[in-house]
Amino acid sequence: MIRVVQHRHKCIGCNACVEADKYRWRISKKDGKSTLIGGVEKKGWFSVLVDNDEQAALEAAKQHCPVNIIRYEQLD
Amino acid sequence: MPKIVKVNKMELMAPAGSYEALAAAVKAGANSVYFGVEQLNMRTKSTHNFTMEDLPEIARVCKENGLKSYLTLNTIVYDHDVSLMKRILDETKASGITAVIASDHAVMNYAKKIGVTVHISTQANITNIDTVEFYSAYADVMVMARELSLLQVEAINKEIARREVTGPSGKLVRTEVFGHGALCMAVSGKCYLSLHSHFSSANRGACVQNCRKPYVVMDKDEGTQFEIDNEYIMSAADLCTIDFLDKVIAAGVSVLKIEGRGRAADYVFTTTQCYREAIDAYYDGNFSSEKVADWKDRLSTVFNRGFWDGYYLGRKMGEWSDEPGSKATKRKVYIGKGMKYYENAGIGEFLIEAQNVKVGDELIITGPTTGVVELHLGSLRVDDEPAEGAKRGATITFPVNEKIRPSDKLYKLVPVE
Repeated sequence: MIRVVQHRHKCIGCNACVEADKYRWRISKKDGKSTLIGGVEKKGWFSVLVDNDEQAALEAAKQHCPVNIIRYEQLD
Repeated sequence: MPKIVKVNKMELMAPAGSYEALAAAVKAGANSVYFGVEQLNMRTKSTHNFTMEDLPEIARVCKENGLKSYLTLNTIVYDHDVSLMKRILDETKASGITAVIASDHAVMNYAKKIGVTVHISTQANITNIDTVEFYSAYADVMVMARELSLLQVEAINKEIARREVTGPSGKLVRTEVFGHGALCMAVSGKCYLSLHSHFSSANRGACVQNCRKPYVVMDKDEGTQFEIDNEYIMSAADLCTIDFLDKVIAAGVSVLKIEGRGRAADYVFTTTQCYREAIDAYYDGNFSSEKVADWKDRLSTVFNRGFWDGYYLGRKMGEWSDEPGSKATKRKVYIGKGMKYYENAGIGEFLIEAQNVKVGDELIITGPTTGVVELHLGSLRVDDEPAEGAKRGATITFPVNEKIRPSDKLYKLVPVE
């Protein structure tokens, strides 16, 4: 499993993460920022556990994020 | 009877990237301020950005002080931004903000629909009278491309009058130019470098300033590298028009914009104050080279990359900076924070949290309501006893001729070595 973490309030809504994986990221119509699908918020950080097969797309999202707010860690 | 001609003074527009900068602009005599909220403006990455909740307060501060307020909403807008863009414009209208500065047609279109006044951003790259005519369906004020000469700007202004190009208000379209501050190497800011190197689009307000860095050139055959010293070949020097402001006004420009939404309050205060004095001096008939020399001295004390006259006087090639950062002749050093103000005595109390302070120091106080207060420390007291100086940890008092607040910060101005 992989834990994905996003520091959402710093998002500038560039859409790069959605381009990397539209099934994991979505731009909110409310505030124009990226939403981590399935993410649970704790003190401004959103996180979710995902399968290992998402790693490549997560890496692309992380690499392409201009404000470096996406991180992930391998749990097993 | 002599004919009475009503003179409309050129409007001075200052940047407001924070409440401190806003208060500084008010105090220094700006006629209007511009600012951004959320992420659809050209300083998206700035830590100072306001949010939509700040709009009513910004409008209130501006109205109370007789300033116009302009919201910048001038990035590229994609489909996924449209919903946020509309929300921001709805809030802009509800808050009573004077106008929105736009470059994307979607923004102009929606603003017009809901009755928000539009100004056209420099990002729209207006370089001719026919483009002015095109945008006149949407806007009363248009920022000219930064690459135009004053002759070209003057010709556009004359044509606006001759063709009677009017905006939605029914009045002749007014032109605005950049008067002071950072320029970049890209035409009208349309730069791809930052996106290319860091996936961070300058056209979405997320420029990482690649052009401000030093570079090397390499002989690809042999791999020999040459450092390009002396000049940062992509880093444009800062624009300064104060020494030919008379020509700018004579070219028929209606609004002069100072760049710097990412700059601190003291920068906004000094630049706005200098240009306020210069504009007033022009209309009072006492604009002089002696005054220009004084203004340029003062402008050089705050952030700058060296000054040049931009493209206004007919130059075809840019002028580049020879420093990685600022060439300001002074820098501010944090001393401490405001504690209390004794109204009747006109005495401010401060807690020193860093550095030392002594009689004779040049001090600067900044805060979200206070704006900027500059003073020369003539005397001070420590624990209510007269003193020549004070160290970290001390609580000091000294005369300040206007109210200071606990949200204020105290700095010492020191010469840059």
